[in-house]
Amino acid sequence: MTEELDEITVMVVDDHPIWREGVARDLTERGLSVVATAPDAEAAVRIALATRPRVVLMDLHLGATSGVRAIEGMLEKLPGTRILVLSASGEHTDVLEAVKAGATGYLLKSAGADELLAAVRRTADGFPVFTPGLAGLVLGEYRRLASEPEGADGAAPVLTERETEVLRLVAKGLTARQIGERLVLSHRTVESHVQNTLRKLQLHNRVQLVRYAIEQGLTDG
Amino acid sequence: MTPPSAAETEQPLAPLWRGLLVYRVLTLVSAAAVALYSLDAYAMPAGAVAVLAMMVAWTVATGYGYLGGLPGVRDRRGHVAIADVVITVGVMATTPLVQTPAQFAGDAPVMGSIWTPGAALACALAYGVRGGLAGALALSGALLAFQAHWRAEVGDIQLLLLVGVTIGFASTVLRRSAERLRHAVASEAGMRERERLARAVHDGVLQVLGYVRRRGAELGGAAAELGVLAGEQEFALRTLLTTGAAPVDVHGRRDLAAALRMLASEHVSVSTPAQRVELPAHVVDELVAVAGAALANVAEHVGPDAPAWVLLEDTKDGVEISVRDEGPGIPDGRLATAEAEGRLGVARSMRGRVHDLGGTISCDTGPGRGTDWTISVPKREVVA
Repeated sequence: MTEELDEITVMVVDDHPIWREGVARDLTERGLSVVATAPDAEAAVRIALATRPRVVLMDLHLGATSGVRAIEGMLEKLPGTRILVLSASGEHTDVLEAVKAGATGYLLKSAGADELLAAVRRTADGFPVFTPGLAGLVLGEYRRLASEPEGADGAAPVLTERETEVLRLVAKGLTARQIGERLVLSHRTVESHVQNTLRKLQLHNRVQLVRYAIEQGLTDG
Repeated sequence: MTPPSAAETEQPLAPLWRGLLVYRVLTLVSAAAVALYSLDAYAMPAGAVAVLAMMVAWTVATGYGYLGGLPGVRDRRGHVAIADVVITVGVMATTPLVQTPAQFAGDAPVMGSIWTPGAALACALAYGVRGGLAGALALSGALLAFQAHWRAEVGDIQLLLLVGVTIGFASTVLRRSAERLRHAVASEAGMRERERLARAVHDGVLQVLGYVRRRGAELGGAAAELGVLAGEQEFALRTLLTTGAAPVDVHGRRDLAAALRMLASEHVSVSTPAQRVELPAHVVDELVAVAGAALANVAEHVGPDAPAWVLLEDTKDGVEISVRDEGPGIPDGRLATAEAEGRLGVARSMRGRVHDLGGTISCDTGPGRGTDWTISVPKREVVA
């Protein structure tokens, strides 16, 4: 790869030292700048504030504190940070929570080094990294929100027909290019549909959190 | 929900046994009072007092027995209840001996009077409906044998049978629900244990296996082979720990999402909602079998390492499963031909299973497009 004009700075968060150092070394060998590593959620937030990485590559499984709290903590203070979750399969509930908290990508730990590198680059450029598994989770979450009777509290996010179609095809394993061909769209348009599905979910999550905080404040005060 | 106490699951009938004791003591006082009040009328007042003393002693003895016995002693409430029936019948049998012929002919209450049904209740608690019925029949027989006019006893006998059966039924139901509760608690504990194990193993074994797979692939040669082996074991262990066997719950329902995730492998990606998709266990089995058949078809016709994707969606009215591959597609008419020739093929086994569940199955395929099976099953028919 040729030099990038602005370097991609990365922080690796994982509670297991062998894995953490292995990933950091892989990324450094491939030309990224790993500015920090952290073993747990608290350290992750503290070190992120000090080093301001562009991309945080993190496992959700961080011992006592959850990775989701760390994502919330980092994005609250550094909203421009991009979070890419690198996690084991089967942690579907955690992954969904992480994405709702603001992570823009998810990759399985079984992904190869090149796949990982490509995903970090995409994340740094502001694009979501979706596995079919994540698309299935997000699709399921929209369906769940739609089926929940929320009444006046309402305003559950809804996908457009096109967004649903795109998300389903991602979940069925088609690439952005294949989806573009099938639906006669540019693959950029496909990307932006995917991005929207995440953005709406994250916005809804933030609104819920604020509403919850206000309610708690009112009842406590 | 607070977890059920040990008393609730281990001794579901304890409150009923205590209730029985209260009944016994109250009826003993009442029966004794009535007998002592009219003691002069008895042919053998001393005999009547002796029988009453016997009843008091027996009530105290059974009291210990029905409360579960002395600490450390084995639970013999069933035997105590049988002995209770025998003793009670014995008390009733003294009636012709201690009462005057006038009392006897005048339908004075049998010895023990309302204290006697307690034995039938004890049998009902210990042995359920059958015990209650047997106890009630034994006492009814005694009533007929030791009372002068059987017609006068018909009402009492009806009541005895009714109470025996009702209490027996209640005891059976309570026992059964306690058994279910115990089962649920145990399976929950099992799940928690698996989660704990998963966390522990995650920190060590899985990480190292994952690392070996990664480095192996990079180093190439013999190390690459080791890496592949480590990767397979990592995948298998991870699936086992995170998914388990998708257990069937007490209502006979099972999580379709978890069951389908078991089909995932290095080449097969399974996408599901995060929340459980619960359906009757046999429906889940069928749907997993259909998806498995579609995947087996991919392995056979496209290649054992061909990638495939499974997607499960939980719509409001049903579930939809899609199984897709990027192989050469199924030539037009081949499925129909196979079906027409009566060969047991994909078509027949998959279609048949899905139709039996009241669902539909369709196949989108064509040269260069791969194959995309869509299986839809409505929830309402599934429930029936």
